[in-house]
Amino acid sequence: MTGGSGTDDTPAPVTGTWVHAFEEDTPAEAVYRPEGRPLPPSRRPRRRLEFRPDGTVTEHRPAPDDRLAEREGRWERRGPERVAVAFPGGRGAPLAVSVSGDGDRLSVEK
Amino acid sequence: MTEYNAFPAPSRDLCGTMHVHRRLLNESMTYRAQRARIENRALQYETGRRASVRSGVVTIPVVVHVVHNPGTPAQNIADAQIHSQIDVLNWDFRAANPDVSRVPDPWKPLVADIEVEFALATADPHGAPTDGIVRVETGRTEFDSHDGVKAAASGGADPWPSDQYLNLWVCQLGEGLLGYAQFPGGPPHTDGVVVLHSAFGTTGTAAAPYDGGRTATHEIGHWLDLFHIWGDDDGACSNDDRVADTPNQAGSNVGKPAFPHVTCDNGPNGDMFMNYMDYVDDDSMFMFTRGQRERVDACLEGTRASFLVAHRAAPAAPAAAPGTRPVEAQASGYVAQDSDVERLLHDTERLTREALTDIHDVLDLVGHRFGG
Repeated sequence: MTGGSGTDDTPAPVTGTWVHAFEEDTPAEAVYRPEGRPLPPSRRPRRRLEFRPDGTVTEHRPAPDDRLAEREGRWERRGPERVAVAFPGGRGAPLAVSVSGDGDRLSVEK
Repeated sequence: MTEYNAFPAPSRDLCGTMHVHRRLLNESMTYRAQRARIENRALQYETGRRASVRSGVVTIPVVVHVVHNPGTPAQNIADAQIHSQIDVLNWDFRAANPDVSRVPDPWKPLVADIEVEFALATADPHGAPTDGIVRVETGRTEFDSHDGVKAAASGGADPWPSDQYLNLWVCQLGEGLLGYAQFPGGPPHTDGVVVLHSAFGTTGTAAAPYDGGRTATHEIGHWLDLFHIWGDDDGACSNDDRVADTPNQAGSNVGKPAFPHVTCDNGPNGDMFMNYMDYVDDDSMFMFTRGQRERVDACLEGTRASFLVAHRAAPAAPAAAPGTRPVEAQASGYVAQDSDVERLLHDTERLTREALTDIHDVLDLVGHRFGG
């Protein structure tokens, strides 16, 4: 089962790359914005989530040497604005993701 | 520990996946074994069972590779901007930075002079005179953190021998990155530090709030084996930076925090966010600690000992005494103890466990089906 072919009539767009706008985080969620949105430069590397139509996802996350390390996972729709992300092999806990209907804001439950 | 992105993409090609994974696993195992040795040595310094024997200031020869796209002339930073960066390094690693006076009173006694200085190389790998600056044109508009900038074949500049020079690459970095490093024990052909040109030095293209030259200070801290001060545990309070005199803290700090900022029950003084190994703005970081110096000493007298060779040829003098080193360890050579054997056995077991986990992971990956 792949994620890009959700069965809902009007699924919120999720494919593409999302960048962590940690300035907007709340205690309950981490907020991401579409790549290309101007964000201030930051010494803390910004996480990135890259959703592809074939149901694969790449997370780029800050590593101890300030590189962006990658881990591969898969995603699938769980509702019009809900997406689940899983990483195989115990490489990380699953993510519960919400996407706004206009495709402007993605949030990951903490 | 960083694993050089050693996690292959999902694939239905069993043989291809296994082939790639075997190569990455081998590299990863070599790196992990190196890191285990480096950590053992650092622990010996931290616990006082081994102490630094270097005396005086170590000067590291530096080569700066300016990799620039002619379409954006600003990337070809001026010599003055490079010199301004070297100046900052020589203040910060000697605790000679003017803002060290802003260290909160409780931590003033912990401020350490690392006794490392940096100088642009005066001789290239062939012995020819140089100003220590290499300028290379690239067709790339930007680089990511996968080391493309470190090889001519990928549009960057090849390193000079990394056991003789600190290689500093300056370029346009993408993905919002200010810089990245490589810990000791990694591949020599990518050893060094990469810094975004507009976060390098204090003049020219350097832009606030990263125009204090502290990105290079932070990244060279990694190159000398310092970890992030919060222990890279995503706020869990479960891991620290393996330095005893830096408080455990939850996560990274950004911007210009107000003192004190308490996390992980580390009150009353809270996070040492003004340490160079946090993520705050350039004008908000201004100290290394004595414990961090011990890790640097372990690194310089271990993995990066090639930089000490010239200094070792000099007559030995009593260690300049910041008062942190046990006397007994300066007296004679190191004798293995039972606890060392136990630690080595422990590390061997850990490496074996990690290898088995890797193999398990790749089998999972090959057979993985979502939710199933």
